[in-house]
Amino acid sequence: MKTLFRASFELMLVVALLIAAGITASAQSAKLQLDQLDALANRASETVDVKLDERLMQTTAKFFAGKDPDDAEIRDLIKNVKGIYVKSFTFEKENQYAPADIESVLSQLRSGGWNKIIGVTSKKDGDNVDVYLMNVGDQISGLTVVSIEPKEVTIVNIVGPIDLEKLSQLEGSFGVPYLNLPPSKPKSDK
Amino acid sequence: MMMKLTLTGIMIALTLAAPLGARADRDDFNAVVKAIEQFYHVKHQNVPLLARAGVKAVRTAAKIRGGQYKRIAEAGSVRVAFFEDQTFDSHGNMAAFKASIQNTLVANWSALVQTLAPKEEEQTFIYVRDANEKFHVLVITIERHEATVVQATISPQVLADLVRDPNGVGKTITDEATISDP
Repeated sequence: MKTLFRASFELMLVVALLIAAGITASAQSAKLQLDQLDALANRASETVDVKLDERLMQTTAKFFAGKDPDDAEIRDLIKNVKGIYVKSFTFEKENQYAPADIESVLSQLRSGGWNKIIGVTSKKDGDNVDVYLMNVGDQISGLTVVSIEPKEVTIVNIVGPIDLEKLSQLEGSFGVPYLNLPPSKPKSDK
Repeated sequence: MMMKLTLTGIMIALTLAAPLGARADRDDFNAVVKAIEQFYHVKHQNVPLLARAGVKAVRTAAKIRGGQYKRIAEAGSVRVAFFEDQTFDSHGNMAAFKASIQNTLVANWSALVQTLAPKEEEQTFIYVRDANEKFHVLVITIERHEATVVQATISPQVLADLVRDPNGVGKTITDEATISDP
């Protein structure tokens, strides 16, 4: 009897650990590996690297909890955001970086649960903006914007529930650059 | 006897732990200063008196304007190292210097923002770490002929402002620490 109870307990523990590992793995995969791009810094005329991890975001969110409407707006924007990671490289001339230089990031976005929801290409300027979302069930767990221009490449990776509208409101603060995102569709009144 | 030995051991450990913590804090700041000196073959100057005088000057200027001076860094917490009138040339390998700083600070600090402009030899690194109820911030600014390393203690409110506007508040922290009395 004791043996049976012990075996059941151990099995439950293993199952619980596996579920926790699965949840953790899902949460972790919304954060992209971006540090390998640092090699581009030597060729870039300007590099911006932003890392706002979960601890910093939580600490920050607490201090926008006042009654000020601006604070409330910010709090609403960053509520539950677990991290903001930005890599941006600006080059003096065109063709100073190659698609292969960012393939390590694009390959993460092609696998691991990311879905491209928007792709905008400008033939005139050669600009590309792609937006990817990661979902866990019906919850957004991450958003990534990849902006590729002839003389600039920018990757913004946000971990946590955020949508395009909130992202456009974050532009210019919290290290998020202006991305020339396509406008969000207006909400229809039903 | 065993109890006495245990208590003595605990007392010795506690006695060593506090200064070790302070030494670790000093070591990180000094380690960064040393990393800059070794990579760029330059020498720093410490001007704590100037930093204190500078804060007083800013406070005085604010009073004259009729405003209130709002300190960014906690009083007495600022450490500054200056590098003036020296040449900072990364020889096209600024990424290596960035890696060197990261390796120096990775154990105790979180990188917040790093901006590099190799052509102008301009770099800014902002790191933060917990300090009980407050936070330590480390701002490294390098330009072609000068550099500063500033470490300061900031409140959670200032940290929130820093996270919201890293470059702006980072510059303010450096300016507050380095402004001179005209």
